[in-house]
Amino acid sequence: MSHPVSTCALCPRLCRPVCPVAVGSGREAAVPTAIASVLWDHARGRVSDALAASAASLCVDCGACRSFCQLDAPFPDHLRGARVALAGALPHAVPSPEPLRALEGSGVTCVIETDGRPFGDALSQRLQRSVRRWRTGDALGVAAIDGMDLKGPHAAQIRAQASGLALVVAHGGVAKVLSRLGVPFTWLHELVPSISGVASCCAPGAAAPLGCCGGAGPLVVQHPADARRVAQAWAARAEPGVRVVDARCQAHLAAAGHAVPDAIDSLIADLA
Amino acid sequence: MTPQLPEDVPSSVDPLDLRAASRDLWPGGTLDFVQGVAAPEPDRVFLPRDAGEVARVLRWAAEAGVPVVTYGAGSGVCGGARGMAGSVVLDTKGLDRIGPLDRDRWTVDVEPGVLGQHLEDWLAARGFTLGHSPSSIWCSTVGGWVAARSAGQLSGRYGVIEDMVLRIEAVSPARGRFVVGDGGDAPEAWWPMLIGSEGTLAVITRVRFRVWPAPASRWLRGYAFDDLPTAVRAMRRLVQAELWPAVIRLYDPVDTRVGGRTKSKDAPEHAPKESDGWLARMLDAVDARRALALPLALPGLVNRLFDAAASGCLLIVGFEGDPGVVDAASRAASALLADEGATDLGDGPGERWWRSRHHVSYKLIPIFEAGGFADTMEVACTWARLVPLYHAVRKAIGHTAIVMAHMSHVYPEGGSIYFSFAGRGDRRAYDATWRAALEAVLAAGGTITHHHGVGALKAAAAAAEVGPAIVGWHDARAALDPTGTMNPGRLFVEGDPRDPPVDRLDPAVDGLVLVPAEASYDERQSAATSVLGELMWPWRTLPAPQPWARMPWQSGPMEVRARVGGRPCVLGRGPRSATGPDLRPWLLERGTNREVTLAVAASGERWMAEGVVAQPWSVAQELLRADLRPAVLTVVDGRLRVGFRGPAAAAMGALARARVPELEQVPYTATASPGGPLVACALDDPNVIWVTTNSAFRVPPTVLEEPMLSLVGAEAP
Ligand SMILES: Cc1cc2nc3c(=O)[nH]c(=O)nc-3n(C[C@H](O)[C@H](O)[C@H](O)COP(=O)(O)OP(=O)(O)OC[C@H]3O[C@@H](n4cnc5c(N)ncnc54)[C@H](O)[C@@H]3O)c2cc1C
Ligand code: SF4
Repeated sequence: MSHPVSTCALCPRLCRPVCPVAVGSGREAAVPTAIASVLWDHARGRVSDALAASAASLCVDCGACRSFCQLDAPFPDHLRGARVALAGALPHAVPSPEPLRALEGSGVTCVIETDGRPFGDALSQRLQRSVRRWRTGDALGVAAIDGMDLKGPHAAQIRAQASGLALVVAHGGVAKVLSRLGVPFTWLHELVPSISGVASCCAPGAAAPLGCCGGAGPLVVQHPADARRVAQAWAARAEPGVRVVDARCQAHLAAAGHAVPDAIDSLIADLA
Repeated sequence: MTPQLPEDVPSSVDPLDLRAASRDLWPGGTLDFVQGVAAPEPDRVFLPRDAGEVARVLRWAAEAGVPVVTYGAGSGVCGGARGMAGSVVLDTKGLDRIGPLDRDRWTVDVEPGVLGQHLEDWLAARGFTLGHSPSSIWCSTVGGWVAARSAGQLSGRYGVIEDMVLRIEAVSPARGRFVVGDGGDAPEAWWPMLIGSEGTLAVITRVRFRVWPAPASRWLRGYAFDDLPTAVRAMRRLVQAELWPAVIRLYDPVDTRVGGRTKSKDAPEHAPKESDGWLARMLDAVDARRALALPLALPGLVNRLFDAAASGCLLIVGFEGDPGVVDAASRAASALLADEGATDLGDGPGERWWRSRHHVSYKLIPIFEAGGFADTMEVACTWARLVPLYHAVRKAIGHTAIVMAHMSHVYPEGGSIYFSFAGRGDRRAYDATWRAALEAVLAAGGTITHHHGVGALKAAAAAAEVGPAIVGWHDARAALDPTGTMNPGRLFVEGDPRDPPVDRLDPAVDGLVLVPAEASYDERQSAATSVLGELMWPWRTLPAPQPWARMPWQSGPMEVRARVGGRPCVLGRGPRSATGPDLRPWLLERGTNREVTLAVAASGERWMAEGVVAQPWSVAQELLRADLRPAVLTVVDGRLRVGFRGPAAAAMGALARARVPELEQVPYTATASPGGPLVACALDDPNVIWVTTNSAFRVPPTVLEEPMLSLVGAEAP
């Protein structure tokens, strides 16, 4: 009778208050239990691949449901697995990740810079040692990673390139990819304590339920309208002074009508 | 002409949304889902963002003749929120604003789609609490609470939801938007109809709640008793002594025995437990997922094994609030329980329960996974009927389901029993179990629900319980939803008329006295004196002040017995019944041969003091805000009068005097409180005659001018 998602499908929806998609979109269909019930019915041949894929991508892959669950049910893992298995049936194609660019410079410390947000030189001056640079235009292919197999070739390349480096990150999307891949890293604002006041949805310890503005995970690609509603709910509840550390999220919030400052700008200014 | 769909209101026909709206947390629906039976789906889901959009949807639906099902978070366990074929679902989660918080009046306004936990988090960040803590706080909405008459785990201090609401804004198909309660413009008779209306009649679009500062101290303790009747007696004495514990939870021997074996990270452990070889191991296996199938298939045997093995009950008692009050009340409670033969287990069981108080909700999952069904039934009745009703239900369903129970909402007039049961089989077996259980409750003189409400599951039993008083609900429907578009087929489904069971009242146990509705204040008071002591809530007129003009622990009449169209009718068979709207005010107004039961405070310790203070009503409100619960709190000839009853009377009196040094002790006199209706006014209004933590009250100006002819048994105040 039981199935990998049956515990979640039969749960009385207890994690719903921490799920940013369920709360922000207001859709009952986005409550983890509702998604689990679709996946269970899919496994029993009662719903189509398209419906199951659509349900499995009502997620920003934030992990809040698992942290909250008293049974420690690995629901985000099930969702990721379902998205990989049903990749062909997702509402929208997952963009291919940009090929990894070669590292520049030397040294063990390596900053990961997203385009247009360079902070390697400033950090090098502050630390008074050379710092390597790993440039990326798509936050290491975060959209692809959100919807793809973490054991796939792109993931393997990132792991290989990261090996032996002390990575420094100032971008929520990058941080998320590395976390998913189990690659250790340090946040820029942790390394440079004089950079204070960074309150970010993507920073560690961001509070549920709206720890995510909806600009991350498969949601923004597969369900853009819901992602916009999550952004609006996020902006309505955001504490004063919150800054995002992800250019993608900043753009996402801006598209939903909310100009939220980017923490990177102030970090870089402070370093300079 | 076909009415135009309100296109400007967000809505969806996405199959995921229709599917999600086709289910709530009714276990019968869960059983269907597990067994592969598809639920009928609604045609559309609306997600309005404000009351105006709600009104547009309702107007369109009424014109188009389309049923509307209001959906909060779908945590209702009676199937009342499930979309139905051909209906539209109105999901309230787009109405999700909180505030303003009025720090002076201690009130907060909230929209219905706010999840319980989000409201508590919001209030906690501002130093306040609502005090409503249902096990479903993570998965239920404010609107659902009010619509289905929810009760939280701290009901002894904060009351159930109807004791917390001060004002309701709602939208109905016929009336549009209206406000009822404190400062409202709609007829007050609609108030009791809305609370518990479960999506029939209207959509609740905004609620004003009474809130409290976060409690400064909390005290929790466990006690063991040899058997259930002894423990029930102790629990009864505790509340009838007016000690008002915030938490009171009595687990029957079976629940005490198996309790605590949850799979949660932070498992609660109830005591006492003893290990007794093979039997204990077999019982332990009952909630081990793989081993569940066998016991579920043999419920009669398992119940008998439990009965043989289990002995002893766990009682958890808790107080919270002002440290002085908590200390005084908990000392008196400990002494009373020791006197009743309790073994003090220390603070461990209470602390463990507190940490894991919402985790019990995970427990039913493995039973469904094992192919069984599990459900809960929470009923209420007066004290003398409590233990017989407990045995009647166990007997009625013990051969088809494993049954255990706890009691966690108790009042001076009676208490609620929360049965958990698990069995095996399909919907037929499940439905038969429910029918037998509800029949047993009705036959034993209880109310079929204390806080889960009615939905579709109990709609026939609810109609049987309210009997001919259902006309009151029809009247409200004619005024608010004449086309019957709101949640049809839920709440009441009329079947064969039947008379209420013949009633016994045991005043010494029930703490109730039966009087004619026309009795004067003096007659009511002397009836109380002749059986026990004095009226617990000595309202001068029979209609007590409106709910928003009372504190949570202050009640009006409990049972109302009357005849409607020649048929007998008994409402209020248990305290805080959730069998739909409270039809008692209607029955009092429209029935004949009316009698009511009133709570009586047994004679015992008393303390009273008086003093001249500046702004006495303001001082009176300060005492309430300091968590004191005086039996008498009034101003007589310009002097503030404060009285306490029960074993903590002297200690509470000392706390009152510490705050108001002008108070000097005087002999205790039973003192009338004003009757209803009252209107809110400023604390310094010269006509103030009553206060709550949130407001001062006076007699409505019109009542001063002309007698309250329309109110039953009313006397000039
Ligand atoms: C695990 C679990 C534990 C529970 N524990 C408790 C408990 O401790 N105490 C308790 O009281 N209950 C408890 N319940 C029952 C349930 O949580 C309550 O009945 C709750 O009040 C329902 O709220 P909801 O928002 O989920 O309402 P829903 O289930 O969505 O709706 C319930 C009913 O109210 C109507 N309704 C909802 N919102 C509105 C509105 N705004 N206007 C008009 N009608 C509306 C619906 O049409 C429906 O008839 C529990 C349920 C579960 C699953
Ligand atoms: S991982 Fe986050 S977004 Fe996805 S279901 Fe869990 S809580 Fe919701």
